Amino acid sequence: MPQLDTSTWSITILSMIITLFLVFQLKVSKYYFPEDPKPTLVATPKPVTPWEKKWTKIYFPLLLPL
Amino acid sequence: MNENLFSSFITPVMMGLPIVIVIVMFPSIMFPSPNRLINNRLISIQQWLVQLTSKQMLAIHNQKGQTWALMLMSLILFIGSTNLLGLLPHSFTPTTQLSLNLGMAIPLWAGTVITGFRYKTKASLAHFLPQGTPLPLIPMLIIIETISLFIQPMALAVRLTANITAGHLLIHLIGGATLALMNISAATAMVTFMILILLTILEFAVALIQAYVFTLLVSLYLHDNT
Repeated sequence: MPQLDTSTWSITILSMIITLFLVFQLKVSKYYFPEDPKPTLVATPKPVTPWEKKWTKIYFPLLLPL
Repeated sequence: MNENLFSSFITPVMMGLPIVIVIVMFPSIMFPSPNRLINNRLISIQQWLVQLTSKQMLAIHNQKGQTWALMLMSLILFIGSTNLLGLLPHSFTPTTQLSLNLGMAIPLWAGTVITGFRYKTKASLAHFLPQGTPLPLIPMLIIIETISLFIQPMALAVRLTANITAGHLLIHLIGGATLALMNISAATAMVTFMILILLTILEFAVALIQAYVFTLLVSLYLHDNT
């Protein structure tokens, strides 16, 4: 059975070690799996200018009693 | 007849040069490295498959066991791609070589056992004696457990070698029988050809399954020891 011929064992094992532990691991280590994109809020944030909360008469020029 | 049948398992040497190195490294060409931000379809599909497999396989491990993720993934890719490429006609399959499989099984198994010894010495030694054994049976059971521990790498290597070799031999034999029967009786040759087609489908499955089994068992031995 040719698999039991030990003269070739060292070169086979050496090439396997190089392939498995060097080549394949270098390739697989470069794989990256980005995170899923997070959903952002669609609603606009609350405005922080309290003085514009209420329109008063002076903002309507046509309503000024002139 | 004997020499002819096993001739596809001789380690290939071309004019004195061991081209087995090139043959063992060849499957890595099928997996190009991702270099861009958005890669092409082949790399994306392979990345997705690796992610799928790694999630499945590493789910049972804790933090320490998950450091073996790169090793297990490259192991399953190597064995799977080597077995699948071996189904091409006139190709040499490195995983039919007992040397290669022993070279894979023994260091990986020894790594899991030594990891267990270093970090959980008492627990890994406790594996030798299952819980609740009656007192007189203890010496015999320890001997049995020791033997079953040391047979693990041998079984890993021989299982892979024997399965792939036997599959290749069957394909050779049945293909030869189909050819020989064509001159004698076309109907029998047709039946034999159907058997050959079914066998080839089986061999595709076996190629992938053996890769999976090897990696799964290594991961189980790791789970015991982390």
